[in-house]
Amino acid sequence: MPRRLLSWAGWVAAFAALTTSAWGHGDEARDQPPPVKADFTPPVPGTYTLHPIMRAPSGLVVGLDGRARPLAELTTGKITLLSFVYTRCRDAWGCPLAYRVFDAVGTAIERSPTLRSRVRLVTLSFDPRHDTPAVMRQYAGEQSTRGLDWRFLTTPSEHALLPLLAGFGQDVRAPATGGPDEPGQLTHMLKVFLIDPRGVVREIYSTAYLYPEVVVADIETLRLEHPAPVGGAVRARPTR
Amino acid sequence: MRSHSIRGFLVALVVLALAWPAPALADETCNSPYMGNLIKAQEDYVYVWTLGMKGVGDGSDKLVTIDANPSSSRYGKVIHKVSVGGRGEAHHMGFTDDRRFLWAGGLDDSRIVVFDVGTDPARPRIVKRITDMPKRTGYVGPHTFYALPGRMLVQGLSNGKDKGGVTGMALYSNQGELVTTYAMPTTEGGDGYGYDIAINPRKNVLLTSSFTGWNNYMMELGKLVANPEAMKRFGSTMVIWDLKAFTPKKVLAVPGAPLEIRWSLKEGDNWAITATALTSKLWLVKPDANGEWQAKEVATIGDPAKIPLPVDISIRNDGTGLWVNTFMDGKTRYFDLSNPEQPRQTYEKVTGKQVNMISQSWDGTRVYISSSLLANWDKAGADNEQFVRAFKWDGKELTPAFEVDFNKEKLGRAHHMKFGSRAMKAAYPDAPLASVR
Repeated sequence: MPRRLLSWAGWVAAFAALTTSAWGHGDEARDQPPPVKADFTPPVPGTYTLHPIMRAPSGLVVGLDGRARPLAELTTGKITLLSFVYTRCRDAWGCPLAYRVFDAVGTAIERSPTLRSRVRLVTLSFDPRHDTPAVMRQYAGEQSTRGLDWRFLTTPSEHALLPLLAGFGQDVRAPATGGPDEPGQLTHMLKVFLIDPRGVVREIYSTAYLYPEVVVADIETLRLEHPAPVGGAVRARPTR
Repeated sequence: MRSHSIRGFLVALVVLALAWPAPALADETCNSPYMGNLIKAQEDYVYVWTLGMKGVGDGSDKLVTIDANPSSSRYGKVIHKVSVGGRGEAHHMGFTDDRRFLWAGGLDDSRIVVFDVGTDPARPRIVKRITDMPKRTGYVGPHTFYALPGRMLVQGLSNGKDKGGVTGMALYSNQGELVTTYAMPTTEGGDGYGYDIAINPRKNVLLTSSFTGWNNYMMELGKLVANPEAMKRFGSTMVIWDLKAFTPKKVLAVPGAPLEIRWSLKEGDNWAITATALTSKLWLVKPDANGEWQAKEVATIGDPAKIPLPVDISIRNDGTGLWVNTFMDGKTRYFDLSNPEQPRQTYEKVTGKQVNMISQSWDGTRVYISSSLLANWDKAGADNEQFVRAFKWDGKELTPAFEVDFNKEKLGRAHHMKFGSRAMKAAYPDAPLASVR
């Protein structure tokens, strides 16, 4: 069996363990259901094609240090997994699921010598009024310092956010009804974007197909496409 | 039927021992599993993709919006219509994954129109037209519009070279940019034909069915059934695809033109059902004891010798029942699917002189029926009723709720229906449209 396949078999085994373990992020997180485990074995990385879907849009974002920078700096140069969230989200199958899947994917990435330096996770808030850098720092917990390149971002304003939502095609809605027990609740379709080192979206996942082992297989597929790191940050071209 | 008697038509079919299928697809329980914002309460609107008729109104294909909320003062009335200009054999529609946009296609002109239904659900408006599908993909007749995350998978019915049934799927981004194409398999038993798409994400399975090409679906029905060679050119396969790799894994022999595909939505279920137009059968697709996907005939719809022509099906959200519309006899039938291996018809009612699409609300208590199959296949004269009829369903009887007469309203031929709701609004209203401009 080729070495690559052996490696892939290892991944599958690792995920079988991961998806049945508790997700280490505090009590609140453990109260939530774990990521859904795929009821199939994903195809071997590199045996299928992830077609370019669109160029990741650019715009200004703000990191935990409060400094504004172009998002393109964080969607190029590495394989990037990006998701929009808002910290007040209570839908277990929305933002908390994204957090868990990122946590699971991150754990797999950390354990992989070939992927550790090649992958970046980005959690980007679409609620800039509430989700300040300080709030995002609290939301990140220890994730931003665990040795994994996991960025927690917000935007300087709603004005700065809009082109990112439009460019990624991320919907955000305000519910027509909502009681006083639901202040600040928004509804959105959870989407996770897999972006190659050149800043091109190659896969989009939503709740119905958001399996950590599939995501890692896709990341590995992109790594095989780009055996050498893509140097430096590439300036993203406008969205098609 | 235009210049042919029904009897003559049926005799011709029996003699030829052939048949033909018909297009359809709809309702809240048949949407892509990737689609969010399912309407599980009262729908406010029914969008009807309507074929223009020469000399009727403006003669153009159009999207008609009907108020479907009983609490509204305009309940059962047409509240909006938007013409697309010209007649292109308007047929099916599909929402994007976020339900903000409704893609609608023409089987003749192969044009795709994208309507914004998110900004003001009561007043859809055109935001994009895709006119180069044949040139870019080689496929014509965009039929099924199936949401994937951030993308739309479009099933063609034909091809631009010979306009036969060999075709493929085109994958577009939600922004309307072509991503790639996938040819329907022509080896390992594949006939290359396409029709419907249905995905079971938990099993990584994409399932497709097969109909016929432009040469047939645009032909006058009388001429078609009188042409033995043309009548041979209908699909007889379904294909199991590896969803992630987008490669065909197994071709299933399902003779008689399998059309709409419905996966059971019940948690833990792992089967799909379809109806064959030519042979008037229900077929079940599920894995056998060894996990190998198989298709098998499980029920008969009406009397196949009379060619009832099943054209659309609608499954309950718990997988326990199935509506079946048959075009020729104008009947709406209900099958008990408690045991999907042995569906059992428990109800039938004549709901029109010709009926095609059937859509049910999420809870199954409201059922909508439309009349048109294809412009050249619809019946003629007094039999050419064109309508959307709404019914209430109490588990025992379909009771009329309202009707819109598309002839009287000078709208055209009523075909595909989708539901709309005013329940949600964009939190950042400036953002959504930019994604398709």
